[in-house]
Amino acid sequence: MQSLDELMKLPGAIASFEFSDRGELTEHCLAEGNELTPDILDLVSHVCIANISIATMQARGWEKVTGQAGFYPVEGFTLVGFDWSTVSSGNRGVILRNEEADYQATYDALGV
Amino acid sequence: MIRRLLAIDGVNAVCHFRDDGALVEGHGVLEEQHMAGLAMFAHDYRRILQSHADQLSMFSQVRGWTPPKGWIVHGREATVCSFGNLVCLVDNREASLSEVMRELADTQY
Amino acid sequence: MSIVAELAARPGVIAAGEYSYRGDRFQCKGELSEEHARMASIMCRATNLSAHMQAHFLALGMDPCPFNPASGWSVRGPHFTVCVMANVFCFLDNTATSLNEVMRLMHKHLGREPEDLI
Repeated sequence: MQSLDELMKLPGAIASFEFSDRGELTEHCLAEGNELTPDILDLVSHVCIANISIATMQARGWEKVTGQAGFYPVEGFTLVGFDWSTVSSGNRGVILRNEEADYQATYDALGV
Repeated sequence: MIRRLLAIDGVNAVCHFRDDGALVEGHGVLEEQHMAGLAMFAHDYRRILQSHADQLSMFSQVRGWTPPKGWIVHGREATVCSFGNLVCLVDNREASLSEVMRELADTQY
Repeated sequence: MSIVAELAARPGVIAAGEYSYRGDRFQCKGELSEEHARMASIMCRATNLSAHMQAHFLALGMDPCPFNPASGWSVRGPHFTVCVMANVFCFLDNTATSLNEVMRLMHKHLGREPEDLI
């Protein structure tokens, strides 16, 4: 598993962060020259946890009703914003600039 | 009409919002900008909960979840309660949530 | 060729479809039954609404906010991934497709769609 510093080397990465099971920010790295703050990363961490929870509920329901396995356990969630994306897995996430984002490499680096 | 909801113990603000989330009227301790924010939040949250209720019905094959009529988000000190197109901000120390929800249900548009 | 048809024709794409934001219509191409496509539409719509609200909240702390408005999202399971951009969804087989190519294609066609979810 790569460290937060190593995650910052991913294409387009401007922040990497770690959060608790409740979504509270516990550690982070920020690239210079952007407007992100630890407070915003804390909010993004809650977004990651919330969506992984929702997706887990959906994966459970989907598999139960359709009999089609392969979504559970949810291994990652990505929010694609207008210019930035946040890719999360487990208790860690990376924020990427969309035009440079390599989603596959980011999931791989997060250990998915 | 909705102003009377402020008479309920613990209710600090109340808003009526349109189906697109725009504020129709708001009363209480919030500034106009925050009233509009509360209205938009309540509108977005209602749509999300409606869609989650749809999923719950779909997955559980049990009726009774839909359509959801209202919701409560209970914080340590404050609570947001909504019913239909109304939402109010409540101080937990003073309010009875049952009373607030009952009055919201009676007043909803 | 519509974006849904283009996605559905790609290797590793199990199904692609689109749904109305109001939740009353959907269409799907690929290996999903009508009922499963309906379910997928309901689920994707729910997460889309959440993602949009979350981006609005992030914008409360940043002005301008590069997350807002949300363009889409993806969720990854052990074997399958779901990608959604605007009101188009796509189910992928993780072993048979390039996530980046699908995300790029969807973002190019749908990443700047108007935000009003009607």
